[in-house]
Amino acid sequence: MMQPAYISSASIISPQQHFEDVGFLEGIKTTSDGILFVTEPDYKKYINPVAIRRMSKMLKMGISTGMNALQHAGVDKPDAIITGTGRGSMIDTEQFLLNMIEMNEEALTPTSFIQSTYNSINGWLALQTKCNGYNQTYVNRGASLEMALFDAQMLLHESGKEMNILAGCFDEITPDYVKVKSKVGYWKHPSPLSTDLFRHDDTPGTIAGEGTAFFTLTNNKNRAICAMPALKTLQDEQPAGVIDAINTLLTGQGLSMADIDVLLCGMNGDVRQQAVYDELFKTTTERTSVTAFKHLCGEYDTSSGFAIWAATQLFTSQNLPDIITIKRGTHEGIKNILLVNHYILNSHSIILLQNIQ
Amino acid sequence: MAERIVITATSIISALGRGIAQHSDALINKKAGLRYPIHLRTKHASEFVLGEVTFSNDQLAELLGLPGGQSGYTRTTLLALAAMQELMAGADKSMVADDSVALVNANTVGGMCSVEDMYLDFISDKPQGDFIRYIDTLDCAESTLHIARYFHLKPFMTTISTACSSSANAIMLGARLIRNGVVKRAICGGCDALSRFTLNGFHSLKNVDKVPCRPFDATRFGLNLGEGAGYLLLEKETDALARGAEILAVLSGYSNTNDAYHPTAPSPEGDGALMTMQLALHNAGLSAGDIDYTNAHGTATINNDPAEGKAIQRLFTSKTPVFSSTKPYTGHTLAAAGAIEAIFSIMALQQQSAWPNLNFTTPMNELTIQPITEVKKMDIRHVLSNSFGFGGSNVSLIFSRA
Repeated sequence: MMQPAYISSASIISPQQHFEDVGFLEGIKTTSDGILFVTEPDYKKYINPVAIRRMSKMLKMGISTGMNALQHAGVDKPDAIITGTGRGSMIDTEQFLLNMIEMNEEALTPTSFIQSTYNSINGWLALQTKCNGYNQTYVNRGASLEMALFDAQMLLHESGKEMNILAGCFDEITPDYVKVKSKVGYWKHPSPLSTDLFRHDDTPGTIAGEGTAFFTLTNNKNRAICAMPALKTLQDEQPAGVIDAINTLLTGQGLSMADIDVLLCGMNGDVRQQAVYDELFKTTTERTSVTAFKHLCGEYDTSSGFAIWAATQLFTSQNLPDIITIKRGTHEGIKNILLVNHYILNSHSIILLQNIQ
Repeated sequence: MAERIVITATSIISALGRGIAQHSDALINKKAGLRYPIHLRTKHASEFVLGEVTFSNDQLAELLGLPGGQSGYTRTTLLALAAMQELMAGADKSMVADDSVALVNANTVGGMCSVEDMYLDFISDKPQGDFIRYIDTLDCAESTLHIARYFHLKPFMTTISTACSSSANAIMLGARLIRNGVVKRAICGGCDALSRFTLNGFHSLKNVDKVPCRPFDATRFGLNLGEGAGYLLLEKETDALARGAEILAVLSGYSNTNDAYHPTAPSPEGDGALMTMQLALHNAGLSAGDIDYTNAHGTATINNDPAEGKAIQRLFTSKTPVFSSTKPYTGHTLAAAGAIEAIFSIMALQQQSAWPNLNFTTPMNELTIQPITEVKKMDIRHVLSNSFGFGGSNVSLIFSRA
């Protein structure tokens, strides 16, 4: 059995708020365009001023969020840097690809090619923090951040000494990406008001989103906001198999669904992907509050980063905002949060988070 | 002491051919796989030699019993499946059927090889066409999913992308997953197909040679890109012995570090590479003097070879064991390189032969050491295999005689 990982800081850039904003989901931003773009912070405080000029949006988002998460944890130099991304820097990938096609493979400049490399943000974070330690990037669709967190948990488990690991995720949306994926039915047409997403869960499609989330993970319980005792990802699994996996994960921690205070659900409003959540709701008791988040951040490969950040906010505030609440349970306080997320290409993730205050 | 992790199966496809036997033949007989490409549709086809796999996409599909044409399989996926077929042919299916096995795949540009030919259709107003089948193929996990589906696996599945060290990382992760009790066995490796995107990308960095590359040579100019896939089956020694499996080699050490020096260039004195190799030795419980052969990263780029060469000199001080880069055989196969060179390292242990560094003629001023240029039959107990990537992502693996 692996020891829990402890989360000692959480920072995001999201369509709702970024790491410099105070409060938790105050002043909700909505859209009827089907795309929730992030609100960007001032990056200059976090990134080498010489380097920043050539950096694309994804790099600036990822690096600044990572640096902010370390600042909040009071860590100058992490022991390892582990990330997950579904798509890396889409803007750089599209730019180099289109340039190559338009210029007929001549006179190309390398900046967007280099930045399109999935581990470029990791490299920059290592450079800025002078971190020579373990460095890893997972690019595994809807189970990318999850594997980064799992790897971090393994590293902490393997280590005999105190460690601080920077683990996070980054994904961005582009108009071309939205157009391309609309051809295979990713999005709702017409798009509803984003906050009304779940009123339209009888039709196919969802809304697009983007964001970054970075966490400092440690094996020092005293520094923690919450614990992450267990995590599981599944691919091509039927709803019944997902429910089995949830029960197995909880049993392994001496818990059952009846112990969950808040269920964070990755519902995306697509009727074709609703079955697992419908099965899940059959297993919840009166105690559990059922919540959702993709009407606030949109659907993307690493949206569970937004959800885990939200969980840290729930633990510290002990307050469940109406905007994420679908059903309010009878629990007193918020101790156990279960995140269940499904991503478009049939991957599921299950993450248990526990308040340790 | 941690339980030993062993390799009990390997499989490979590259410009040298398909399967271990063809690769062994090529290595021994100094037959390089570099030539002008016939499958990659680039305007630079008659300009750059590449390590292109000889099979066309339709031929690969036929080998696999899959439909040819634009049926939704990218060349990346086809290469992965063609390599994996060799490994799975020798595997006990019941042993890898459930999530007691991990599938750790590695990849740098996913299905870019297909997407780049169809991208204008992707972003056009056309709602339908063959291109639709490729819309979800750009990301790195595409080939991983296809491996699982084609071979009916339900594995603990993930995909790594750390540029040129990707599949060395996959092997290291597989070992850690086994040691931590997450899985019993792990299939680890990587795949990459040639694409115009990567060829032009590396060319824009001015580090692609038009003629066969010359690692550790004063006249080197850059790398040759290649393509391929390689996979290894990892398990605990006790599990391998219990089922009577042939043990090909022991994975005795590994390390992953970051240069933290520059986005694309290594630290010039090889500080990062040295640290990686030292930590791998420490992890293996070995000292530098135990290494008999080093399969270097040796890309033949202006920056890599002096940095890696200096790191090797510093690590071994006065007694540098034989070393070579096998990239003049295969080209730089990017995410497949770590796995392919791990397999070459294991073949070196099995055949007690160090592989030659082709095309070396002129020693570098910066180095006092030189790679071997002929197959060297010798006593080999421990092989060090280096994989260094963009973003300062460095991995060293140590393989030992079973």
